[in-house]
Amino acid sequence: MTTSPVAQVLTVASYEIRKYIRGRRLLGILILVGLIIGLFLGLPPALGIKYASTPNAFVSTFATFAGLLAVLGGVLFAADALVSEHEKRTGYFLFPNPVRREVLVLGKMIASLIVCASVLSVYYGAAAIAALAVTGSLTWDVGLSYVYALAYMMAVVGVAYLLSALLKSTVAATVLTFFLFTLIFTIIGGILTVAKVHPWFIPTSASAIITNALGGTAIGPGSGGGAEAAFVPDPATSVLVFVAYAIVGGVLAVLWFRRRELAS
Amino acid sequence: MAMQSSRAESVARESPVHLEGLGKDYGQFTAVKALDLSVPVGTALGFLGPNGAGKSTTIKMMTNLIRPSRGHAVLFGIDVRQEPTRALARIGAVIETPEFYGYLSPLETLAYAGRLRGMSSAEIAERSEAVLKEVKLTEWADHRIQEFSKGMKQRIAIAQALLHEPDLLILDEPTSGLDPRGMAEVRDVIKSLKSQGRTIFMSSHLLGEVQEVCDDVALLNHGELLIHGSVRELSRGADTSIFQVTFLHPAAPQDVETLSAVPGVVEVKASGDSTIDLRISGGEEAQARVLEAIVGHGMKVITYRPLGSSLEQLYLDRIQESDRL
Repeated sequence: MTTSPVAQVLTVASYEIRKYIRGRRLLGILILVGLIIGLFLGLPPALGIKYASTPNAFVSTFATFAGLLAVLGGVLFAADALVSEHEKRTGYFLFPNPVRREVLVLGKMIASLIVCASVLSVYYGAAAIAALAVTGSLTWDVGLSYVYALAYMMAVVGVAYLLSALLKSTVAATVLTFFLFTLIFTIIGGILTVAKVHPWFIPTSASAIITNALGGTAIGPGSGGGAEAAFVPDPATSVLVFVAYAIVGGVLAVLWFRRRELAS
Repeated sequence: MAMQSSRAESVARESPVHLEGLGKDYGQFTAVKALDLSVPVGTALGFLGPNGAGKSTTIKMMTNLIRPSRGHAVLFGIDVRQEPTRALARIGAVIETPEFYGYLSPLETLAYAGRLRGMSSAEIAERSEAVLKEVKLTEWADHRIQEFSKGMKQRIAIAQALLHEPDLLILDEPTSGLDPRGMAEVRDVIKSLKSQGRTIFMSSHLLGEVQEVCDDVALLNHGELLIHGSVRELSRGADTSIFQVTFLHPAAPQDVETLSAVPGVVEVKASGDSTIDLRISGGEEAQARVLEAIVGHGMKVITYRPLGSSLEQLYLDRIQESDRL
């Protein structure tokens, strides 16, 4: 009685997705997505402000929050995926089965990517439909921004898995993932800019391509109130950076998770 | 090469569990020294020892949850570290009291385990029904596990270990968390599996449980194997046992002196007005001779019964001896 690793990966992924569907996290983030969309669509008419007249300008308002959604996705659907097997002792059920640890990581990671991508898809889908309804047209740039957001989300998930494999508590893994992408990387990017070093390799700085794809320009952080030259990331380099973070994070997560013992 | 392979196959046939110099260190602390142990096919082995003896550490090395610092855990001729998926394919394990995914029901949990093991949907459905019936959880089959008590989770743990009809069951204190009725039911399940010829490796600190269920016993303390043999032989071969004697009349000081002088009596301790505990050396023959001698001295005996089992006494003696070293 044996099964292929691919079948095992799909089994693990399907049960992980079931976990997210049955849990309140997916519902919570979908409610948040609904609120953001509602505010973007409801506030301008309520305040007597006109909607943007071009699809790119219209969707760019939504795109400013796409990076945060990707980070929230990583925090809610990836950061505790591995560490919880140890902390919550479910590993005592899962690990004695004839399944390799890398299969477990891969299955869980696929589930995290599918769920996070679904949330971003709902968000961009709603933005695109609204843009079409308001401006009467759509551009390929909207699709490009969506693809960049997905790539950034992959980087977040990769790093979240690495932290999940390294850390001993779910709280530490989720909190660190959140602050890494909302604070620590941003601070590092800002300091590098001040030091005249382009932070192309910092994922939060590279994530500016999500809005830049729609014609916006990322504004570099200033120091002491003074304006610095804006860093405009190159799309191809940024995508490579995202892919590198995703792959390196994922591979290190697998290696560490394989070594980690279920001792307590 | 061919000879090596044939030897491995032979070991696998004869000993589903084969531990060779298996040991584990945590920094300076040695949890398990270098354990050599084989369990013949169809045998139920009770893995005994006090808390911290190294029982769970050994079981975790056997199930690939932790890495050995030295030696090998070989299941069915396959080294667990080198080929974990193959080595674990024919085993069912209950380790500590595992937690389960609260969002799943017992049926879904069993389906998850079954699918990971490559069972077909029909097999999973059929076996799930059977094992849930066996652990008396049929009525709860569709409820979310998050509502379950510790005892119910322990039953699911046993159910998932039995799902794929494993040839070897590795059970780490399987009756932990169960009420007396649940404990008896689990013991019945284990006895039934044993009667089907399955090999069982069961850790426990409940001697009565081991005596009732197991053929062989291995005693561990401070990470070292102290005894390994059949329960029957070890019980017979136990050096000393304590018998409680209740007399018709309260025992006088000279009665205690008389009893101390009876050959085979190692220690005499009054435990009540008419009750005396005798520590007897020399097995069943000696126990019979002591009773004859007591009656021969004209003392009127109402009851003469062992306090605890001889295995228990052996266990306590060996643990004390090992603690002193």
